[in-house]
Amino acid sequence: MKKITIDHLARVEGNGSLTATIDGRVVREVKFLINEGPRLIERLAVGKTPEEDVSVAPRICAICTLSHKNAVIRAMENALGVKVPPKITLLRELMHLGEFIESHSLHLYYLALPDFVGFPNAIAMASRFPFEVKIALEMKQFGNHVMKVLSGRFIHGENPVIGGFGRYPTREELLFIKARAIQFMPFVHKTTELFCSLPYPDIPEEETIFACCEPGDGQYGLWGDEIVVSNGKKIYRDDYPRLTNEFLVPHSTAKRSRYQGKTYTVGAQARVNLLGERLRGEAGRMFTRFYNDRYRRNPLFQNAAQALEIMYCFEKIPEVVDAILSFPEDPGIIPYSAREGVGTGLVEAPRGLLIHHYEIKDGRITFADIITPTAQNAEEIERYCLIAAQKLLDEGKEELIRDRLEMVVRAFDPCISCSAHLVEVRQAEVTEWEKRLEQLKETKPIIIGLGTKNYGDDRAGLTLAERLKAAGHADAYLEEEIINDEAFWSTVEGRPLLLIDALNFGGASGQITLMPLVQVLWNSSLTHRLLTPLLDSLSLAHLKKAYFLGIQPQTLREGELSKPVTESIEKIVEILKK
Amino acid sequence: MNKVKIGVYELTGCAGDALLILDCESELVNIFAAADIEAFLMAKSDNTHGPVDVALVEGSVTTEEEKEELLAIRQRAGIVVAIGNCACEGGIQAALTASGTWEKEFKQVYKNLKHTNVRPLPSRPIDAFIKVDYYLPGCPIGQEQFLTAFTRLLAGHPPELYRFPVCLECKWHENDCLLNRQVPCLGPLTKAGCAAICPSHNLPCVGCWGPSEEANRTAEFQLLQEKGFDPESIKRKMAIYSGTTVVEFFQSLRKEKGSR
Repeated sequence: MKKITIDHLARVEGNGSLTATIDGRVVREVKFLINEGPRLIERLAVGKTPEEDVSVAPRICAICTLSHKNAVIRAMENALGVKVPPKITLLRELMHLGEFIESHSLHLYYLALPDFVGFPNAIAMASRFPFEVKIALEMKQFGNHVMKVLSGRFIHGENPVIGGFGRYPTREELLFIKARAIQFMPFVHKTTELFCSLPYPDIPEEETIFACCEPGDGQYGLWGDEIVVSNGKKIYRDDYPRLTNEFLVPHSTAKRSRYQGKTYTVGAQARVNLLGERLRGEAGRMFTRFYNDRYRRNPLFQNAAQALEIMYCFEKIPEVVDAILSFPEDPGIIPYSAREGVGTGLVEAPRGLLIHHYEIKDGRITFADIITPTAQNAEEIERYCLIAAQKLLDEGKEELIRDRLEMVVRAFDPCISCSAHLVEVRQAEVTEWEKRLEQLKETKPIIIGLGTKNYGDDRAGLTLAERLKAAGHADAYLEEEIINDEAFWSTVEGRPLLLIDALNFGGASGQITLMPLVQVLWNSSLTHRLLTPLLDSLSLAHLKKAYFLGIQPQTLREGELSKPVTESIEKIVEILKK
Repeated sequence: MNKVKIGVYELTGCAGDALLILDCESELVNIFAAADIEAFLMAKSDNTHGPVDVALVEGSVTTEEEKEELLAIRQRAGIVVAIGNCACEGGIQAALTASGTWEKEFKQVYKNLKHTNVRPLPSRPIDAFIKVDYYLPGCPIGQEQFLTAFTRLLAGHPPELYRFPVCLECKWHENDCLLNRQVPCLGPLTKAGCAAICPSHNLPCVGCWGPSEEANRTAEFQLLQEKGFDPESIKRKMAIYSGTTVVEFFQSLRKEKGSR
């Protein structure tokens, strides 16, 4: 078994790493790991006032700070019923456009381009491509300038607040932004041409699902009150869990997102695929000239899509500035008095769909849920890396794997501090569980069913243990019977253990997997309160004799067991009671 | 003359301070030319783990792994500079360390301490583990203060940083005092260096540069109460960006009262 490990992924934002495990001619798994420590940002929000959280929440991430700012403000305004006049919305849009220009030009020139021209970093690249590096610096500087004028400073500006802005930009400041945006057009043209015509390698290529905000009115745009999915479905903002499904994994830290069981892509590539036909002007012409069906299959085209968006942003700025100037009066901060409510804010961050959701009671936040683009893309990053590694291995180009995987990860422009609450990866051997369970049965293991009642398939382990007890099995227990029973744990020392529980390992509903418990502990984020007494009570030698039988749940919402899981329970009972 | 060797290291945070260094666009090429950048993960792939003259460390320590990395950085660095609120104070995430609720909150989110590829710790500033030579405060750090400090370090001089609170900078800008308008502003208690940006935008200081050492907290807190601000909300606002400092201050205040 061979491992390719990229520790400390360079030229991405934050501290992440990637591991690909290769077993002979097969790539066993790819892990995209977040090495940042946990910050518990959502828990920090609880107890604060909405205004305090508007200051704190954008601290999640420095690169997407204004996307977080717009998302948290949209959520709070929805929750508290604050309606702002068009001038404020337009100023927020201008600020968002600034962030897109800043983030995209940083990503394209500093982070991504060195891969395609063979340099370790942008500064080294400057000797061969002085013009490009200079454009990058100037474009990024312009984006920063827009952000600073609107938000108060380069990073974590406090000027945008619920109900408006503390200080409104002057006419001169706005006209300067407009004039600069127009001056940049020749450079922007070059940027879009460069990144749309790079020779993107054709590994990996595979169809996927895309999701982004629906801006409405047939326009291209950077936020909306609905999510549009590439299967044609639309999801209203408060129903966002239908897309992200994060709540389906209650005993896992890995806040993973799968839409209808499948991984999906968010970001510039998703927006250009879903909304690209709405691009007008030069961006529209560039789209017609360069867009092809590889944009749907190859994640490296995130780069090309970002370049099209840079064009969109520069064309949009003069339009937005003119619209702002048509409202000469500054609206101040719109007053509001509501102290309760529930609200969701959807925006497109440069790297994809960003969702903030808050519940407010008596002027204090009682619940917060933040879903970042990188959390949604993480599964997709692993999938495309796996496809790329396997394809290169098949073609005998093993030496290319390392660099290619880094390129794929980088194309998604992952923002690792954003996704610090996302960790870990599925790894479950799904094969031959029946044969191995038969063998295990011969060792007369103690069977413990884990789970929670009333949460759909999460009670699978409990039902199974109950069935076995009813069938007269002497060594079957429910977790509640033994969890705090020290005497029990001292008597089982030396005996094999078989733990049974619902386990989200990315399989089909009802699919069964049997693996050593240590593999669960080391490789998955599966956690369970039982594991603490287990780890305390058992020696390592004993732990190594413990096995874990997992059933892929279909639903973990309140209610009864699903049909596929019920059928799987029947199969297991048949084997174990014989 | 040998160039000064610099390393920029990122622990847990939003990476805003490293990004702000990248945001010094026009000066960036000069910075890279004036020093040998041995490590700067966000900017380059060919990073080394050798000795450096100056280590700029951003982010707070929230895992055992980061603690070990930090100890190793101290070993090989001549001067260690903490950059940004996370490194200096522990960051917004240190509020849970200060209140002693970290473990409870952690379990609420992650259920079990043994879940991840990292070994988590309650967030702490870097001087909880190593000797720090200089502190550049801010959330994020200010560009001007960084460039001034960096240039002085390159020339072998100590950086000279503001020791007074935002309130004084705000006076320089001739802003109307927000406290007089009944807006709860933390300017009197917060480290200066940001050019009093929020009061200059008609908004109260949120305290994001961390607590000023020179501020007379007891007097200020008294004053705010006299002006009719709710003490609980002032405490809560002050605690957001001050890691454990302010919580310890209130604890000591309570003890003093008790002993009287």
